[in-house]
Amino acid sequence: MTHPLLPLELQVVACATLIAFSGWVLYLVRLQRLSLRDSLLWLLSTAVVVVFAIFPRLLQDLARGIGVQVPSNALFALGILYLTLNVLSLTIVLSRESARSRRLAQECALLRAELDVMRMRVEKVSPELSHSDGVA
Amino acid sequence: MRALAIVPAWNEERNLPEVLEEIRQAAPSWDVCVVDDGSSDGTASVAREKGAVLLRLPINLGIGGAVQTGYLWARDHGYDVAAQIDGDGQHDPRHLAAALQPIQAGMADFVIGSRYLGSDGFRSTALRRAGTRYLSWFLRLRCGARVTDPTSGFRVAGRRAIELFAADYPSDYPEPEAIAFAIRGGLRVQEVPVLMRGRQHGTSSIGPGRTLYYLVKVSLALLLLPVERRRNAELSG
Repeated sequence: MTHPLLPLELQVVACATLIAFSGWVLYLVRLQRLSLRDSLLWLLSTAVVVVFAIFPRLLQDLARGIGVQVPSNALFALGILYLTLNVLSLTIVLSRESARSRRLAQECALLRAELDVMRMRVEKVSPELSHSDGVA
Repeated sequence: MRALAIVPAWNEERNLPEVLEEIRQAAPSWDVCVVDDGSSDGTASVAREKGAVLLRLPINLGIGGAVQTGYLWARDHGYDVAAQIDGDGQHDPRHLAAALQPIQAGMADFVIGSRYLGSDGFRSTALRRAGTRYLSWFLRLRCGARVTDPTSGFRVAGRRAIELFAADYPSDYPEPEAIAFAIRGGLRVQEVPVLMRGRQHGTSSIGPGRTLYYLVKVSLALLLLPVERRRNAELSG
């Protein structure tokens, strides 16, 4: 191989960056600022990229396999795919969470109304027990 | 028969007193619940003063989430019918009796008040009328619904519709999609003619520039009706 896809220095820098990134993700998990479940896709996809950085031959084979002329373009395509997958998974989580908070807000409204009804009943039975400080 | 009027309201302190008064006069036997969709004005205190049940959402959910809150209340408290009447005063509660009739007669599970079945009254701009016609055509194509006014927010739901909507109600621009949900759920949908008025105070939530976005969004929503629901509908016959 006359022109290696990745020079050794670049391989080292790439691996170090990716491993540092994974370390940061793991640190966020330990700080409980990122749930382990949500971190898994980042860790897994970053690990795949590390494998490509260590064995650039794989990338060349892949590029040839899918008919990409310049292996570095396959690298960019993979990078975009990597980001797209992670952003999509983020949006899925977001949609699920907004459905959940909608449900919670509704439950809040229903409970507040139940509380109003209860308070009115208590006031009817024993006015001296109740306070007129209606929770707004 | 226990009946509940669901009045979704978002910053409607000016229109709401009249709406609630009209419901009280037109349908004195109905209970009324106001769904305050995260208003920042006096909507909630108006509702309390007028003796309505107040369902106060801590955050703004939009009309779909608000209306569903009303259906949840109706389901949990065993109401036989529930009507949606907008808090902006464009719906006339005097049409409630006519809209209730097909449900009481056992002919329908879900009744929509249509501006286009009658002969006159407020009908919005030409662009929106064209949009409505398109949506009506699209709904018929997609799920066989024969509805002339799919965006109308004046609706009466029987017990089966209450249960369906409490479990599952669309968000964003929910009216046409809710009809599709109803048809998919095996409900019988009917229309009755109603007159609508322009709103008294404030501006509509859908400006002219948004009409196109509305049509695209609703069309997509109708194309992509949830997969799950079809299976459920088949299971329940």
